[in-house]
Amino acid sequence: MKLPKARELVEAIKALITGPYTSKFPYKPHVPYSSFRGQPKYDPDKCVGCLACEQVCPVEAIGHQDVTEGDEPKRIMFHYTDTCIFCGTCELACIADNQGIKLSNDWELSFFDRKAESFETIEKELQLCEMCGEVIACKDHLRWIVERIGELAFSSPTLYYSKLRELGVVDENIVSALRDSGRSDRFKILCARCRRETTLTTK
Amino acid sequence: MARSVIPIGPWHPLQEEPEFFSLTVDGETVVDIDVSIGYNHRGIEKLSERKSFDQSSFVIERICGICSTSHPFAYTRAVEDIIPVEVPDRAKYIRTIVAELERIHSHLLWFGLAGHFLGYNTVYHWVWKLREEILDVCEILTGNRNNYAIFKPGGVRRDFKPDDFPLVLKKIDGIIPTLNRLKKAVLDDPVLHARLKGIGILTKEEAIDYCALGPTSRASGVARDVRKDAPYGAYDRIDWDMIVTENGDVFDKVVVRVLEVYESIKIIKACIRDLPGGEIDLNIKDIPPGEGIGAHEAPRGETFHYVRSDGTNRPARHKVRAPTFMNLPTYKATVIGETISDATIILAAIDPCYCCTERMAVRDVKGKKMYGGQDLVRLSQEKTAKIKREMGIP
Amino acid sequence: MMTREEVLKDLKVRFKEDIVDLFDKSPKRVYVEIRPEAIVKVGTYIFKDLQARFNVASGVDARTHMEILYHFSLEYINLLISVRVKLDRKAPAIDSLATVFKGANWIEREMNELLGIKFRGHPDMRRLLLADEWPEGVYPLRADYREWDVNAVRDRGV
Repeated sequence: MKLPKARELVEAIKALITGPYTSKFPYKPHVPYSSFRGQPKYDPDKCVGCLACEQVCPVEAIGHQDVTEGDEPKRIMFHYTDTCIFCGTCELACIADNQGIKLSNDWELSFFDRKAESFETIEKELQLCEMCGEVIACKDHLRWIVERIGELAFSSPTLYYSKLRELGVVDENIVSALRDSGRSDRFKILCARCRRETTLTTK
Repeated sequence: MARSVIPIGPWHPLQEEPEFFSLTVDGETVVDIDVSIGYNHRGIEKLSERKSFDQSSFVIERICGICSTSHPFAYTRAVEDIIPVEVPDRAKYIRTIVAELERIHSHLLWFGLAGHFLGYNTVYHWVWKLREEILDVCEILTGNRNNYAIFKPGGVRRDFKPDDFPLVLKKIDGIIPTLNRLKKAVLDDPVLHARLKGIGILTKEEAIDYCALGPTSRASGVARDVRKDAPYGAYDRIDWDMIVTENGDVFDKVVVRVLEVYESIKIIKACIRDLPGGEIDLNIKDIPPGEGIGAHEAPRGETFHYVRSDGTNRPARHKVRAPTFMNLPTYKATVIGETISDATIILAAIDPCYCCTERMAVRDVKGKKMYGGQDLVRLSQEKTAKIKREMGIP
Repeated sequence: MMTREEVLKDLKVRFKEDIVDLFDKSPKRVYVEIRPEAIVKVGTYIFKDLQARFNVASGVDARTHMEILYHFSLEYINLLISVRVKLDRKAPAIDSLATVFKGANWIEREMNELLGIKFRGHPDMRRLLLADEWPEGVYPLRADYREWDVNAVRDRGV
């Protein structure tokens, strides 16, 4: 083999003509394929705040914080970008038709300030017990349950009152009219313990 | 003649994984070798007892970057063996496609590295350029080039869309002409024949005694392959051949790996053509108490997982055994008696993946003249240049 | 080349007083429990006469005792025989199989340092995985090893 054979020359000439195989990043942006698993992003309209994603995450990259003080109780969902492994289990476990948290195509995720930028948050409204202040669930989650179970929602006053409150059928007027006779408690959205107390005992 | 000990490692700049070989040499010939590995011990067996069965498949994926399919495949087969249950057909075909894609890209990676050790840097770059096409196929199908997150006890997590298949087939067919050229260039080259034939021979009896696996044993004439001996996935429904050669030297190991790439391409195309419809996941909820064993033919040999469950949703014991664990002790048989300049290519010939073996250690070194890792590779490349000069090839 | 039934019957007859239990789980998996004293006899027979391949040995810390399972593959009939021995948890010791076939050498070193099982007659018992500075007598894979829980650091907010 004194000279390179013709077959190697073919490859060399092809490489000369087409130029370098590497892309010109960062001068030209790199667009991955559409099925690339990138940064998970919350959708505030679809997410119901049920914490299913937090329970299945293999690396505990999702957390939450319930703010119960103040006028507007809310649940803040955190997704920690630096812990996430982009596996997609949160998307598969999401009960809102896999739309509450979805994996986008974002892959340029570096940041400078770890305390401030390493997570993403959304806020959901939280429903508290109107007697004792315990956390029941997010309002969207209760509405999601009512829509799914149809007429069985009437088995739990917490559920159907959430829906009726949203529709505007039950409001402060009805509640205040019955306040003196002690039956106003029955029209409130209560946690399980308070519900048992108002139904079974008389105070 | 004074004996000196040559260390290679632990930060061996060419092999990406840390290992420590101390070769005791007498002049130019190696008389003894000791392998200390274990720089990468991460305690994965204990960690997977803290995660549920579903979650621990993500930890298992990250045991090794190159064999990112083999470990989850064997693990999910072990968990399914506890019950025992068979996954749906579509899941089997999808798993087979991903496993064969990984086999192609791992063999191409090794091929490039072997070219570099011998001094053929052009082969190194060309083969890794080919490998990029395969990694693009992995990204189209599973969403990532490396850790696929597609195995789950009971099936697979994501489905393949038929719209992607034309592009996938185009990319796979696109590598075949270059692969043909490289195969002929390697197998006909007289320099390579002189360099690699008769070096690092592992005889058939030694391969059986050390329980060697994968291409290391198939190159020595021991026909072992989990895909043929205990078929699973779609391997028993597709027509493919097992490559076995007789001599057991480094040249045969190269030949086995190159020809296996062709077989893998054949399997992938057959699977895409015959992909059945149906469910992809059994939705297993509870794993009963019991034990299960799962095995898969990784690019380097047979991966073996043993899982014991006690009825909760976490494994009680998970034992991982990578193929390199059984192949590494064969160094005692192959390297002793060879020269130093051949040491690197023989050590690389079993395609060691130390991350899979999970070991760690530190050692002392005695001796006056010491070669580092760079020096040994330089010696290997110089030997090739010397052979070329002798044959009159520029 | 014996068939599967012949192999099992042969094992039962030949090691009649050593076999404690034989669990035939499925066509491809058989679990045999034997007394620890007979491991070299049974291991040699399965490796040499039945021409099986030694896969690996798994050491398990069941809370009341220690177990070792030796997995052998008979490829020609697609059968995997797992030989189980139960050992005392306070001072587990058993004869080594490394003199019979070299494939058992490294796995016995690993089980020795991670679980504390002694192998009598092993030619080269050194540390394989753990660092040289690791303290003696601390076996990480045992169920009562808790130091890594104590020292683990989580540096996150919520």
